[in-house]
Amino acid sequence: MAVSPRLATAAFNRTFINAPYTAAAIKQLFESSSNLRSTIHVSPNPSWAVGAKRRSDGSILSKTILNAAPTGNIQKRLSSSSAAVDSSKSTIVPDFSKYRKSSEPNTSRAFAYLMVGTTGALTAVGAKNSITDFLVNMSASADVLALAKVEVDLTKIPEGKNVVIKWRGKPVFIRHRTESEISEANATQLSELRDPQSDSDRVKKPEWLVMLGVCTHLGCVPIGEAGDYGGWYCPCHGSHYDISGRIRKGPAPLNLEIPQYEFEGEDSLIIG
Amino acid sequence: MLYRFVGTIYRTLLRRNSVFLTGVFTTAFVTEIVFDTAADKAWDTINRGKQWKDIENKYVQN
Repeated sequence: MAVSPRLATAAFNRTFINAPYTAAAIKQLFESSSNLRSTIHVSPNPSWAVGAKRRSDGSILSKTILNAAPTGNIQKRLSSSSAAVDSSKSTIVPDFSKYRKSSEPNTSRAFAYLMVGTTGALTAVGAKNSITDFLVNMSASADVLALAKVEVDLTKIPEGKNVVIKWRGKPVFIRHRTESEISEANATQLSELRDPQSDSDRVKKPEWLVMLGVCTHLGCVPIGEAGDYGGWYCPCHGSHYDISGRIRKGPAPLNLEIPQYEFEGEDSLIIG
Repeated sequence: MLYRFVGTIYRTLLRRNSVFLTGVFTTAFVTEIVFDTAADKAWDTINRGKQWKDIENKYVQN
């Protein structure tokens, strides 16, 4: 039997045309599936339409190879969600040219990537600002910071004297150093220090030494003008600091901490 | 012409992920600066004469 290969494949697989199993309908199927309008001899029972398909256990799966609608006892469906299919028109593909893009594929790819990139950039800005808002929320406000500064009148501190003031709940040592003390602090070799730091790194003006009066060991307040090095001595565990506040002997690991401070003119000091 | 331009953009900016991500973060950085500056300028323009920095010289002598 002369059946085109294309039709044979279509008939063996499931076709989308549900045709009644009659000779006339099969002929119509031929004509709509293949464009061959030439005369094709169709016998009433073509061989591909009668072979029974069986499962591996021998039970019958379908009576015909063709996926055809049953002929008798068709129930009429009174309601359906899908429109009735006119089999003579179902192969007509609608015209989508109105909805197709006129640009070439590279343009739409570049456009898609640019949209992704823009979304990413805007998301990054938003995320950064959210995090910044949370972190700024934790830091001290301007009024707290204004109260956290201490102004010291330096004219009232004679040379060679210590002053202890309270700043943010901690003692701050201010020493008006003499010339000999400055030269002594500068003469110290960095190699003999536990926490090597030159005196010029610890002071803004050599005659004024400003540092936090908290021992770096366990936080006691050292005593001024005491100890083996003429500086400070911590009575709790015996740390000796020199005239520049650097640790020289005892358990403390670091030099006394320098707070942030500024000189306002010649005779005023602002800590904080 | 436009297709060639788009192709150039794709090849230079979008093709390598490293370049693409760097561009995204650079854009974010620049966008934020531009937006913040513009918003501050708009705010200052709308509230001209009402803010402390506008009236400070009336109360503080330097």
